[in-house]
Amino acid sequence: MTDLRVHIGSLVLDNPVLTASGTFGYGSEFADFFDLDRLGGIVTKTVTLEPRPGNPPPRICETPAGMLNSIGLPNVGVEQFKLEKWPFLSSLHTAVIVNVAGRSSQEFADVVAALEAVEGIAAYELNYSCPNVKEGGLSFSSDARVAAEVTARVRAVTRRPLITKLTPNVTSIGEIGRACADAGADALSAINTLVGMAVDIRTRRPRLSTVTGGLSGPAIRPVALARVYELVSRVSIPVIGIGGIATAEDALEFIIAGAAAVQIGTAGFVHPDAALRVVEGLEDFCRREGLANLAQLRGSLQL
Amino acid sequence: MSKSVLQLPVIERAEAARQVVRLTLQAPEWARAARAGHFINLLVPGRRDLLWRRPFSVHRADRSRGTIDLLVARMGRGSESLAECAPGDHVDAIGLLGNCFPLEPGLLEIIMVAGGIGIAPFDLLLQDVQGFSCKKSLFYGARNAGDLCRSTLWVESGAEVHLTTEDGSTGSRGLVLDELRRYLGSSGTHAGRVIYGCGPTPMLAALREMVLAFGIKGYVTVENRMACGFGACVGCAVELAEARRDGQKYLLACKDGPVFPIEEILFHD
Repeated sequence: MTDLRVHIGSLVLDNPVLTASGTFGYGSEFADFFDLDRLGGIVTKTVTLEPRPGNPPPRICETPAGMLNSIGLPNVGVEQFKLEKWPFLSSLHTAVIVNVAGRSSQEFADVVAALEAVEGIAAYELNYSCPNVKEGGLSFSSDARVAAEVTARVRAVTRRPLITKLTPNVTSIGEIGRACADAGADALSAINTLVGMAVDIRTRRPRLSTVTGGLSGPAIRPVALARVYELVSRVSIPVIGIGGIATAEDALEFIIAGAAAVQIGTAGFVHPDAALRVVEGLEDFCRREGLANLAQLRGSLQL
Repeated sequence: MSKSVLQLPVIERAEAARQVVRLTLQAPEWARAARAGHFINLLVPGRRDLLWRRPFSVHRADRSRGTIDLLVARMGRGSESLAECAPGDHVDAIGLLGNCFPLEPGLLEIIMVAGGIGIAPFDLLLQDVQGFSCKKSLFYGARNAGDLCRSTLWVESGAEVHLTTEDGSTGSRGLVLDELRRYLGSSGTHAGRVIYGCGPTPMLAALREMVLAFGIKGYVTVENRMACGFGACVGCAVELAEARRDGQKYLLACKDGPVFPIEEILFHD
């Protein structure tokens, strides 16, 4: 049996397959389809200090081998999250990583502080980079100094593992990732969605209410892989690959390029058990290749 | 009933109207459990560039045969591919999804209002209410006679059927809501009446105004774009007419619907 375990800071995952924030709800949406405890972990939908209603429809649009979204982080707020969403999540054995966002570095720290007393949270992922929220959002991770400040502010209120999620919509993701690592992040996750747009030529209106949105799905996978590869070469902390991963073969590309783990997002909308299939596919691959653990594979890219 | 992903054999394929194919799928559990409003989400075969599944209302359920019928209208590339499915093929489906039309006891008249492919859930509704002694009226409009998906259930259920076509080739000429307005205006009391609507968004928006003006209870089923169909993507937001006390402004078509009380939601093109 291959050892698929992965270390993310002090956190040990049973396997490197996580679900991506904003695509897996709070877990319960998928419980009918497969045993969630087979996953390496679940990253929750973003939690903010106050409840948010989200953006007006239309929020999504299908594009070639992908989709645009402008959901706008609807969520019940951190206090209701603890009451409504946490009981189910805490019943799981898999690692639960809570994704958080704020409008300022202080608000990021406040959300995390409000979650510190909740037992069982495996780690936090900081959502700097949602392109669909007007205030802040993008700016937090498009400037290395600001990105580092947010990480540092949150680092000061928690000892739990901290993962900073980065946007690809910047000139140098490597520089920003490096700044977050220096400020105390235990890992980086990348990429969030790429800014994109689509127009209905009949009505001449944008297909999303917010005009532009975030592109995800298989269409972005090569872009994501290049960004992850860039980050791996710039930081010594683990990098979690995200972006259009739908199969074990896709995940293996990221791991060979140096990713410690991967997140499955959009694929789960179409095949609810996509993340489980990736876990099983990795197990099969390692068995076939006679690999004892993933470390033998990680970063083994032949140049 | 818990949701699942199934590979369903296609048993029959028939042309239901000019651009509409009726697919009969083997799905015994869903045939038993389906009520009008429920939908299933189908993977488009052979088109990996088309990412999302396509949602279809359950059109009819044959509980003894263990089959369900869908109406697949050729609307775009996804439905074109699905309309080509033939007996012997399998379709990859998630179901059963969504809620269903509420059927309260003591109703005097059930009025179904269908525009175009919005006829889909109403065969199943007629099946659901077979034991009800109330009057059943169907108002159904299409562009022309060739676009109407006719059903043997209309006669079997004893429903009063009012057809309208835009070119007058069958039934009365005009829009389905013109016919409905005449009907509602010419009959006295609306007590005990309920209206169920399904069709294009502009029709539902106009139906909402009419139902509110006449003071009749009404429900509609909506078909917003959805990436998943089971509450994860949060893309199929439906706007509430009044925000909830906790600030909630939207519901999800897939999970809270697709059937909603017509007065509670707003329609966007």
